[in-house]
Amino acid sequence: MMNTQIFSGLKVLDFTWAAAGPIATKQFGDNGATVVKIESTRHPDSVRLGGPFKNDTPGINRSGFHADFNSSKMSIAVDMTHKQAARVVIPLVEWADIVAVSFRPGVMERWGFGYDRLREINPGIVMLNTSLYGISGPWNAVPGFGAQGQAVAGFTGQTGWPDRPPASPKGAYTDSVSARYAAAAIVAALIHRKRTGDGQFIEIAQVETGIEFLAPQLLQYQLTGIAQERNGNCDPTALLHGVFPTSGDDRWIAIEVWNQEEWKRLLAVLAAPAGLAPDELDASLSAAPREDLEQYIGDLTAPWDGTELMGRLRERGVACGVVMRPSDLCEDVYLRERDHFWSLPHPEMGTLDYNGPAYRFEKTPSRLTSAAPCLGEHTDHVLRDILSFGDDEVAEIRAMGLLV
Amino acid sequence: MAQTDVKRSPLSGVRVLELSYAAAAVTGRHLAELGAEVIKIEPQGGEAARLTEPTEVLPSGERLSLFWLAFNVGKKSVCLDLSDSDGERRFAALAAEADIVVTDYQRLGAAETDRLHAVAKAANPAIVWTDIWPFGRGGRDENFPAGDLSIQALGGHLGLNGDRDRRPVRVGLPVAMLHGGSEAVSATLMAYYHRLNTGEGQRVDVSMQEAIVWTLLNSTMTWQLLGQNEERGGAVRKERANKFFTRLIWECADGHIFFSPVGGGMGVVRAKSYAALVRWMAEEGVTDELLTSKDWTGTDAFRISQEDYDSVSAIIGRFVRSKTMEELMDRAVADNILLAPISGIPGIHANKHLRARDFFERIEDRARGTSLDYPARWARFSATRLQAPAPAPQPGEHDRDYLDDAGALRAAV
Repeated sequence: MMNTQIFSGLKVLDFTWAAAGPIATKQFGDNGATVVKIESTRHPDSVRLGGPFKNDTPGINRSGFHADFNSSKMSIAVDMTHKQAARVVIPLVEWADIVAVSFRPGVMERWGFGYDRLREINPGIVMLNTSLYGISGPWNAVPGFGAQGQAVAGFTGQTGWPDRPPASPKGAYTDSVSARYAAAAIVAALIHRKRTGDGQFIEIAQVETGIEFLAPQLLQYQLTGIAQERNGNCDPTALLHGVFPTSGDDRWIAIEVWNQEEWKRLLAVLAAPAGLAPDELDASLSAAPREDLEQYIGDLTAPWDGTELMGRLRERGVACGVVMRPSDLCEDVYLRERDHFWSLPHPEMGTLDYNGPAYRFEKTPSRLTSAAPCLGEHTDHVLRDILSFGDDEVAEIRAMGLLV
Repeated sequence: MAQTDVKRSPLSGVRVLELSYAAAAVTGRHLAELGAEVIKIEPQGGEAARLTEPTEVLPSGERLSLFWLAFNVGKKSVCLDLSDSDGERRFAALAAEADIVVTDYQRLGAAETDRLHAVAKAANPAIVWTDIWPFGRGGRDENFPAGDLSIQALGGHLGLNGDRDRRPVRVGLPVAMLHGGSEAVSATLMAYYHRLNTGEGQRVDVSMQEAIVWTLLNSTMTWQLLGQNEERGGAVRKERANKFFTRLIWECADGHIFFSPVGGGMGVVRAKSYAALVRWMAEEGVTDELLTSKDWTGTDAFRISQEDYDSVSAIIGRFVRSKTMEELMDRAVADNILLAPISGIPGIHANKHLRARDFFERIEDRARGTSLDYPARWARFSATRLQAPAPAPQPGEHDRDYLDDAGALRAAV
């Protein structure tokens, strides 16, 4: 059905690459916008070069890393360094409502397509520029990815054991944060445009969005001089707050106990299989030093199947969660029931389950319409059907070596 | 509303009711920065979240949760007892003139949330109503208890962090609340944009677990494509593009840095970064044939052995240990080296790059006797701007601004 999605009819020209930018623009494609990803074999999206690859064989259209961030998008191949690039870029900017960029500051300007130029071409354009450190400031031109971002923004320093060096959180953590803020900023600009007719330029610095998450710790430091540091899984305000072994190889469950009532309910579950009365168990644990408590609880959880233990604790109102492996997520009945995954076919990668959004709209459901595009897969379609180029014109610019 | 206000903030004239504990407070703060008028609906005396640990006693003598203080600036507060019919009537009066309601699972249970949603929808069919819950709304897991640690575990991220010889470890921040709350900003705005275009309101359901899944980036694809579950790591981990374990956290003279100097998968910037590092080391007399005897960052990086990696990283590690974080970052800035300091909280607060960008907003709260820098400018708009937040409200501070004694909405509002 037409016009049942929030961004039906909206047009996005997407220069973004890596994770933060593409995850932000994906929200528009998954909600009905036409998103054209502009890229080139001369300057490919860096995550196309990063695994996992289909059959473990590298290839520009074989990366699952790239795939998950680029559902519901088309791809046009344009060499932006070609002196005739404007032949294609100008009509695309005229067509677009949104232009999204995630290169280091200055790259679009070097190509002749900074915001001032885009605004001349299309005065109503909303342009997003998202980068690691932002456009201004002494670090603006330093290259980097979310792994650097999570270090500077404080996530790495807050993760790990106090007696060891920090643990680098999995992923490019600030990419995951900034994508949410970038999508929000673009929609805010669309709302502004709807109300005033004015387009505008938006700048996002990935590290700054990440630091929004550390606001409480920054206030604590200013108020008290205390700087929170990594502390394993410990929360000193909980009676128990940790990760405990369960049966199987390297299987774990997270358990949180915040008050005496929950503590009793936890012990009621753990005591019986251990052949103890809950009161006996409570007495022996109460006598144990706090630092040994996790070991004792771990001895009690270790024989349990994690999912079974989670079920028993949940029934009794004890907060807990099996430590899910990626395979567990893919097979999780609950996520499947929620239609989290979308099975999408791809000519080189076969059918894969893509992660869908974390939100659901009651009346305008999101829809992942296609797998990530092969590089340049839609070049002809975009030129002919969206920009209305004739056969001769397409042949001419192809002969120039522009569409690579 | 005045045209100048519309020009200044994208959400000027938009009214938001916030029923929050943690996650929806994050949403409310950012909507306020975008210009919305955000009204916290609190129980008489103030909501429980004001005293969630860790708390601090402020110069005024008031004890307040740091999380609450961080995410409740820029808002109004109205106290209502939502459990009785009079409170419900007042809530309906407020909802009738509101555009958006944001809620989270720690503030209200499912049944009460649904009851109030029905009240709001009856008063205002075009309302946008956003729920932020651990597993979203309506599923069979809906009412199972879950705190931040549990959601980090169930979202799959916790299992990928930490040294292999110990148990998995969380990110030491309440990230499930924060991801859920920030995801709800964009989702809520999308629904509001739809309402602007069509007049249709709707309910928006945000799952914190799914928000955490989105921090994994490539792990579910790795399982599907290679049949492998990624292994967790700490200072050392197996990067996606490499067959060997790489050191990501390096000790330096005064702390730690993040650096992955060699290996594949980051394109030409990593090759340039490595060349710049080797150049710097040579300038300081650190040379070794091993540093240049292999293609450490190109396509051959896929074939580097663990032994070779360990040898080259030992040389690099000695060099890094001789430098401070500032020396390393200054050189990285000058020469495009892909490293970054691992910031502690004081380092973030003093960071010269952030200071040059005027990232922090100082909020003077005279009533509480505080003057504090807040991370604030998360986006910069050319035509509009984020609003500098006002101090966080006292419970019921704005009762009389909105409702008269009879519980009717004041005509001027």
